[in-house]
Amino acid sequence: MRILILFAALLLFRGAVSTLSAQTTGLEIGNKPPEIKLPTTRGDTVALSSLKGKLVLIDFWATWCSPCVEEQSDLAKLYRKYKQTAFINGNSFEIYGVSLDAKKPNWENFIVTNKINWIQVSDLKFWRSPVAKTYNIQGLPFNMLIDGKGIILAKNIHGNDLEKEINRFLRKQ
Amino acid sequence: MKTKVLILLFIALTASVFAIKEFSSQGQDDPWTPQQLLAPADLAKVLNNPKDPQPLIFSIGMEAVVKGSIDIGPAMRAENLNTLKQKLGKVPKNAQIVVYCGCCPFSRCPNIRPAMKLLKDMQFTNYKLLNLPQNVKVDWIDKGYPMSE
Repeated sequence: MRILILFAALLLFRGAVSTLSAQTTGLEIGNKPPEIKLPTTRGDTVALSSLKGKLVLIDFWATWCSPCVEEQSDLAKLYRKYKQTAFINGNSFEIYGVSLDAKKPNWENFIVTNKINWIQVSDLKFWRSPVAKTYNIQGLPFNMLIDGKGIILAKNIHGNDLEKEINRFLRKQ
Repeated sequence: MKTKVLILLFIALTASVFAIKEFSSQGQDDPWTPQQLLAPADLAKVLNNPKDPQPLIFSIGMEAVVKGSIDIGPAMRAENLNTLKQKLGKVPKNAQIVVYCGCCPFSRCPNIRPAMKLLKDMQFTNYKLLNLPQNVKVDWIDKGYPMSE
């Protein structure tokens, strides 16, 4: 009996902790990532928080980063496949690409040439971008998967692992 | 049990060898010697001390982040390498020269090798590569070293 009570208490405590961490802004799984508000190639600002309700992949990349460039075609496939999909924790899938490019033509040309149709933002400040600091980015590519409530589900997952993770949250028909 | 430990040990060893390879500052065919790698702390010290003789610093990557550096652009592109060649044309062969990129880990950087090869081919005698093994953020900006405006 005592063990049961202890177990119940532990469960309650864990619940409380996870609720608390959900409200904390941070970079760990379970945290709310810091807000990003940056311009698109056209100059209009898109805030990360405006994507609330969707399952979102934040993709930090740059045209000068070869593994990032290689990954863009995988992201295009994922985007095509899951864009309109309903998830248990998001009503659709979106990608929020944050580029650490330094020169606008490089960034813009890549987007046009490769027909990238998801959200792309950048302050064109290369490694000096404040976002690289707030997100403590140590190297590119770097990404985060966040749920409809804006909570970090996974960090720095690529290729098959990324798709498996997205698949985990599919709403069963 | 013993086999398990051995397997784990093997995995750990292999992983560390790969890690060293990824971040090592010099591969076998790289056109620089370990002596030609300039520690960021040493350059920062010189930059913070204007009375010291200042080297000529060229950014041969995406952006001239380091204070006082001249922006050449990515040296992987022939036109930028040519710009560097022209700028170096008037420089004495024994001048102190530093080049850096800092986009990516050295093993993946497309710019440092063409630039260092050019300096070698032009027979400069006192040129260095700023040692930014990971990138200019981790190895320069995060350390609080002097940056351009």
